[in-house]
Amino acid sequence: MGVVSRPVPRVDAYEKVTGRAKFAADLYFPGMLYGKVLRSPHAHARIVKIDVSRAREVPGVHCVLTAADLPAARSWFTYLFLAEDEVRYTGDAVAMVAAEDPDAAEEALKAIEVVYEPLPGVFTIEEALEPGALQVQDYAPGNIVRNSHWPVRRGNVEEGFARSDVIIEREYRTPFIEHAYIEPEATVAVPDPVDGSVTVYGSVQNPYMTRRYVAAALGTALGKVRIIQQTLGGSFGGKEEVMGLMCGRAAVMAVKTGRPVKMVNTREESFVESAKRHPFRLRYKIGATREGRIMAFEAELVDEGGAYNSQAQFMNWRACVHSAGCYEIPNVKVDVYAVHTNNVYGGAMRGYSSPQVIFGQESLMDELAEALGMDPVELRRKNALRFGSVTITGQKLDDQPVNVLAVMERVLEEADYFNRREEYTRQREKGGPRRRGIGMAVSYRGCGLGAETADATGGLVSVQEDGSVIIRSGLTDNGQGLSTSHAQIVAEELGIPLSKVVYQRVDTSTMPDGGMTVASRGTYTGGRAMLLAARKVKEIIFRGAAELLSCRPEELASSDGLIFCSSDPSKKVSFEEAVRHCLFRGETLTQLGWVVPPELPWDRPTGQGKAFPTYMYSCVVAEVEVDTETGQVEVLRVTAGHDVGRAINPALAAGQIYGGIVMGMGMALMEEVELHKGVILNPNFDSYTIPTSLDMPEMKPLLLESEDPVGPFHAKSLGEPAMECVAAAIVNAVAHATGRRVRSLPANLEKVLLGKTLARS
Amino acid sequence: MHKFDYVKARSLEEALRALSQGGEKACALAGGTDLLVGFRAEDARLRHIELVVDIGDLTELAYIREENGCVALGALTTHAAIAESSLIRVAAPFLATACSQVGSPQIRNRGTVGGNLCNASPAADTLPVLVALEAEVVLRSLGGERRVPVSRFVEGPHRTGLRPGELVTEVRFNRPLPGSRTCFIKLGRRKAMSIARLSIAVLLRTGDGGVVEEIRLVPGAALPVPARVTAAEEILRGQGLTVELAREAGEKLAQEMVRITGQRWSTPYKVPAIAALTRRAILTAGGLEDVATRSQA
Amino acid sequence: MSLLDLKLKVNGKEYRVKVRPHKRLLDVLRDDLHLTGTKEGCGIGECGACTVIMDGRAVNSCLVLAASAEGKEIYTIEGLEQDGKLHPLQEAFMRHNALQCGFCTPGMIMSAKALLDKNPHPTREEIKEAISGNLCRCTGYRQIIEAIEEVSESASKGARE
Repeated sequence: MGVVSRPVPRVDAYEKVTGRAKFAADLYFPGMLYGKVLRSPHAHARIVKIDVSRAREVPGVHCVLTAADLPAARSWFTYLFLAEDEVRYTGDAVAMVAAEDPDAAEEALKAIEVVYEPLPGVFTIEEALEPGALQVQDYAPGNIVRNSHWPVRRGNVEEGFARSDVIIEREYRTPFIEHAYIEPEATVAVPDPVDGSVTVYGSVQNPYMTRRYVAAALGTALGKVRIIQQTLGGSFGGKEEVMGLMCGRAAVMAVKTGRPVKMVNTREESFVESAKRHPFRLRYKIGATREGRIMAFEAELVDEGGAYNSQAQFMNWRACVHSAGCYEIPNVKVDVYAVHTNNVYGGAMRGYSSPQVIFGQESLMDELAEALGMDPVELRRKNALRFGSVTITGQKLDDQPVNVLAVMERVLEEADYFNRREEYTRQREKGGPRRRGIGMAVSYRGCGLGAETADATGGLVSVQEDGSVIIRSGLTDNGQGLSTSHAQIVAEELGIPLSKVVYQRVDTSTMPDGGMTVASRGTYTGGRAMLLAARKVKEIIFRGAAELLSCRPEELASSDGLIFCSSDPSKKVSFEEAVRHCLFRGETLTQLGWVVPPELPWDRPTGQGKAFPTYMYSCVVAEVEVDTETGQVEVLRVTAGHDVGRAINPALAAGQIYGGIVMGMGMALMEEVELHKGVILNPNFDSYTIPTSLDMPEMKPLLLESEDPVGPFHAKSLGEPAMECVAAAIVNAVAHATGRRVRSLPANLEKVLLGKTLARS
Repeated sequence: MHKFDYVKARSLEEALRALSQGGEKACALAGGTDLLVGFRAEDARLRHIELVVDIGDLTELAYIREENGCVALGALTTHAAIAESSLIRVAAPFLATACSQVGSPQIRNRGTVGGNLCNASPAADTLPVLVALEAEVVLRSLGGERRVPVSRFVEGPHRTGLRPGELVTEVRFNRPLPGSRTCFIKLGRRKAMSIARLSIAVLLRTGDGGVVEEIRLVPGAALPVPARVTAAEEILRGQGLTVELAREAGEKLAQEMVRITGQRWSTPYKVPAIAALTRRAILTAGGLEDVATRSQA
Repeated sequence: MSLLDLKLKVNGKEYRVKVRPHKRLLDVLRDDLHLTGTKEGCGIGECGACTVIMDGRAVNSCLVLAASAEGKEIYTIEGLEQDGKLHPLQEAFMRHNALQCGFCTPGMIMSAKALLDKNPHPTREEIKEAISGNLCRCTGYRQIIEAIEEVSESASKGARE
């Protein structure tokens, strides 16, 4: 192939290495005001009184608004633009200001007087579930997040346990985790004085979702709101709700003042109001025969949604599908549901529940192996999904390659797993405070959105008369490299150099809503729409070229900017010439590709159905050295293999894997949003630590290819799989090193040394 | 962001005059790596500051020199300069080690030894070492000069004996006697930019037959004020160094920590960890191999 | 609060700005000079996105008052490109895909430059150390380190020739 499968430099590399890329906070408009938000210091309180009169008198202040001043909705999907009478977590905003400069805005916030009546709150999963517990949201009886319960019922677990020789029960925990994208949220809303419309530039992951918030806040038509995605400084699922709220507020103030309004979060504000990875309480019961055949699996997975939640109802579906891992288990009973508390809300974060669920379930597999006196790999070999296997949701995998074992065996070999496992076990028996361990985890992941929701999206390819090609997607480049992979796909299909392709960022007024850039669907789904659009354009161009070359279009091929006759390559015409010929004849070379995957059947009460069209498979092996006198864990080496189908760009794919490993390592060892009565104790990078360059382990990425029947050029998803089983593998390695298992993340100094959690009081 | 007036001092004299005029409402700005963080957070400890006296350009306060067996560090000497100093690396290697582990390269390029002292963070990396060196702080004001041991200058977490109108101009210590060996170990949650969870500074000198003649043990992030733990030192003084004695001293130091600070949420962790760190640091300084210095590989 | 009249030398060019005393070098670079390649990620010197080179050393411009920067030689990411030619580090970052979202990239490159200016042949450990004050959440650092290594290797080659 010419462009696809090659590690070409990113199309946005130049603007990023020169500092020219414009992130939302880098925009300045004449007359621009600076907006700021006043947030609640209490996790739960009644607002008795708000007095903004002094704030309005601060020089340079143009507007000070409370909920009473909002032109339309005070909330979108229950998230509050501004709270009216009650605050439910410390991120809730009570007032906002716009002023000539940030200092004046800050001063105005200080001049706002709010009287609160603090109320008791619920702050843990247990407190939320207690009978008679205070109800966080009126519409959520028992604090169960609406629509968040997803069961799976297969076979009969009682019978399965009766036929098991070994049964274990375990509980695992994961904490709130911050996305920690390095760019804090930012937006500039620019009003149009002529037609009352507003253009919002922002660090948004999902422009169409953001548009709904803004339209709701303004009480205006979607068509009058235009969202333009600026270069996005990382998101990982994070710049969703928080951006909707921020853009909505900025737009309201922009329209109110008639001036552009810029809002930029400080890191602390970002921590306080942005979504977090949902914490999970994972309870399991699993039974197997003496030979290691798993007979029954029962799980109750409860996640903490925080004060508001619009994700658990989707995320928990994914959690239920993947709850038992990539194994064939005849009897399964799973219940996943989420609860509300007065903590910060849970949202999407890279993996969308899988990293938490895999941590629990792959720890459980190691513990089951130990109980059986069996090697953990052997246990996995015995139970792994194979071609023709039936998943716990009843999907028969006979229409696609099933590569659990192939990926696992390859990764184990590349990691020299068995030799090292034996060596470290031997050395551990000798004692000494520094001990090494090696552990592994395997996972599978449904590609795209699957049966969760319609996985439809579009791609627009527009060929200009000089042969340059504009491409637009409804999905966004969040830094992962979607613009590059889409450009590669189009260049490949049209047979032109990559340099001819111009990617334009998402603008909601120029492309139909293609859903959200989530679920690792950028390449898998979005790439397919791009490919479809390119094919439509190519068909027209080839018809034109065939006329010029006096041959049939089917005989033509193209590469490197030339269209030629396959049987006689000397019969050729340049891409540009063919394009001009077509345009001259009045053809349009602008085509929209739109993919609508077939609907997947799902039976909610039993959790049975075809969850995803195809799956990708991963295995990660981690090696650690544990200082058993201090609890320090050093991750020495991580080998990560992923069945990627086909890597559109191997360098970018490797980048996803490296980044996923280091993010997974942070989850395993150090990351945790610490809360006390709903107040975040570590809202900046001095106290919320993420791995640095010195913490990075040695990493070996393996891109294992297979023929995926669905994705563009056989490509599958990768962004999320790249991090999802890393934490599980590291924690399994720590358990191998120490002989003691950490069942609650992160495996920090205290837990590794003492085997228990020490909480700051 | 806290708001203030600003003056840049062109000479020490000018700085002292400005600080004197400003009195309690003035503070000196050196590298800014702590002060600007505090201003941004509108830290209550800085709320009264109305005048910032920038001493950053007083190059005469950035030096490392030795005179008559006394090592003197100008207050504006950066952590990077100390870590890179060949004099410090020989005369007090653990000070170079501690400075090389402060924050990040960017922080070390700006942060100064004087500033680190005045910030008096309980987790400051340089403080245990300076206490172990029995260093003195030189304080200047229009009224003259006074010298205070670091161990007395630091009065509590983020509290010092700095008086209005005073400026730390130098930190000085007697060069440890020949044969002294040192070690500094810091324990953090990650390998860079970590705030010390615990640290330990050890200065040790053995005489004939390997008998410990001098021993100073100062833990960091363990006590309200960095101080030598003499009860632990006594276990080693006058004895031949052994792994067992080092272990005992470590355990004693941990007990003393609990005696002084009482039980806190982190105590169950800190006790075994500081005992182990102390043992390791003593043995490393003493040139003895510890089980923990070898990794499995 | 008084307004300070400052002369700043950035990327070899003199600028005059009037600012309030609490304004940081970062604020002036971005808001007054519109040199927005320098980013703010945390405001407390923990992420390194605002790294610039001041008198030859990498510093966090969020922890330097603009007034303190007067009289110093300041370089930002915008000063690296000379006569339309990218700095070898910029070229290497592109070639190695040493960036994803790009937000940490300018600061990362400035830290790397400060290292190579002082130490043209660093070891891998020295490279890791030099960028240890620059957080990156996307890349896992590996391709960044490889890019810097390549520049230092070609510098070694250049020195030998």
